[in-house]
Amino acid sequence: MTKFAIKYIICFLLLIPAQAIVFNHLILFNVAVPLAFIYLIIMLPLTLGTNLSTFIGFLAGLCIDIFCDTPGVNALCCTLLAFARKPIFHLYVSMDDDLAGRSPSSRTMGQAAYMKFMLTIIAIYCTLMFTVEAFQFLNFRLLILRILASTTYTFILLYAFDCLTLRNREA
Amino acid sequence: MNELFAFLVRHSKWLVFTFLVSVSCMLLFHNDPYRQHVYLTSAGRLASAAYKSANNVTSYFNLHEINDGLNRRNAELEAEIVRLNEKIGIMTEQGYTDTLAIDSGVKHFEFIVANVINNSIARPYNYLTINKGSRDGIRPELGVVDRNGVVGIVSNVGPSSARVISLLNPHFRLSCKIKRSEYFGSLVWDGDRPDEALLEELPRHTVFNVGDTIVTSGYSAVFPAGLPVGVVLDDNTDRNQNFFTLRVRLLTDFTTLSNVQVVVNNEADEIKALSAGEENDSKKNPFGN
Repeated sequence: MTKFAIKYIICFLLLIPAQAIVFNHLILFNVAVPLAFIYLIIMLPLTLGTNLSTFIGFLAGLCIDIFCDTPGVNALCCTLLAFARKPIFHLYVSMDDDLAGRSPSSRTMGQAAYMKFMLTIIAIYCTLMFTVEAFQFLNFRLLILRILASTTYTFILLYAFDCLTLRNREA
Repeated sequence: MNELFAFLVRHSKWLVFTFLVSVSCMLLFHNDPYRQHVYLTSAGRLASAAYKSANNVTSYFNLHEINDGLNRRNAELEAEIVRLNEKIGIMTEQGYTDTLAIDSGVKHFEFIVANVINNSIARPYNYLTINKGSRDGIRPELGVVDRNGVVGIVSNVGPSSARVISLLNPHFRLSCKIKRSEYFGSLVWDGDRPDEALLEELPRHTVFNVGDTIVTSGYSAVFPAGLPVGVVLDDNTDRNQNFFTLRVRLLTDFTTLSNVQVVVNNEADEIKALSAGEENDSKKNPFGN
């Protein structure tokens, strides 16, 4: 567990600045934003208490907010997502399969279930975030386009990232 | 008491969840960009340090375009110097017969050069961060321009960095006029494209053509009058409305923003005090008697 905690903290300290400095500038066609830091919420182990995981989610969102000048937007969405993570997980994996403290990945869940889990998390996050951001002026066409494009973009990015780290772990 | 404690422990996840959601909502609906604490913005010490070190690398990427822009601007300024020199010549001749100093009213505005270390264009409310702060004389509500036109207005100031509300942010409305006809309106971003904005509240009898230049009106103490802002893009206005809205192509390229100047108006306090006095007067005596 300590090993995982250290790994997680390193990931946190790398992914948040990376999101602010690199990914926020890799916007495609002015609609698709890669939200790579969601990986911080995806990789939280399921045995972790809901209190702690919700708090970690909030913290990650708040850090992104400070960097991106979006006060509250990401903090709110990350809190909601971290809280709803377990029920989403059990949509694809039955309650009986205990993962014994391991974080969700294609090895622990199976390729298909993990991909569905990741896609659901990303889709929910993009929908939440762009809807909250669009509170002030609603441009419905742009909103839908942003949600769809960003979900696809983030999914591809995180899947690629996951394949790379998986190969490292096996090697 | 024990039962209460047990109840709290049992439902702690909902309590934590509700607490964190309310904190987020408080941040979210606390909407005034000037009232935010500096450490919760990108002008905070940690965030600006990260952006500064990243900017050390990325600032080299756009040098070619910046150089082109500077060369162009240099040529324009040289032409202006020649023109002004001629003018000074004429005015000095006049000065022999007149006792008033010519340049007494010129030094209202000073410029502080800064680098953009963070910038966003795709969000509904865009901000940018610059690498100069209160130590360099930056204060909130100073205007920011670059070599092409208006960029934004300073909102939060840290010791060595500041956050600027971009023109691409609906919190920021800029008083502008059509250069040719002097009719003025208010420029605001509609959240769609990073190179276009709307000029609203133009009176119905406004005369304009596609391609007319839009400049700052100088009615606020923030920007000097006559700074270029954009060019009128289309003529699809509904002439039955009392006020026109024009689509404007912005002259500032927000996608490659790097060097900017902060405009310091030495008389801003005086103008602000005067207009605050006017407001107080009108509150006391709304009918002026």
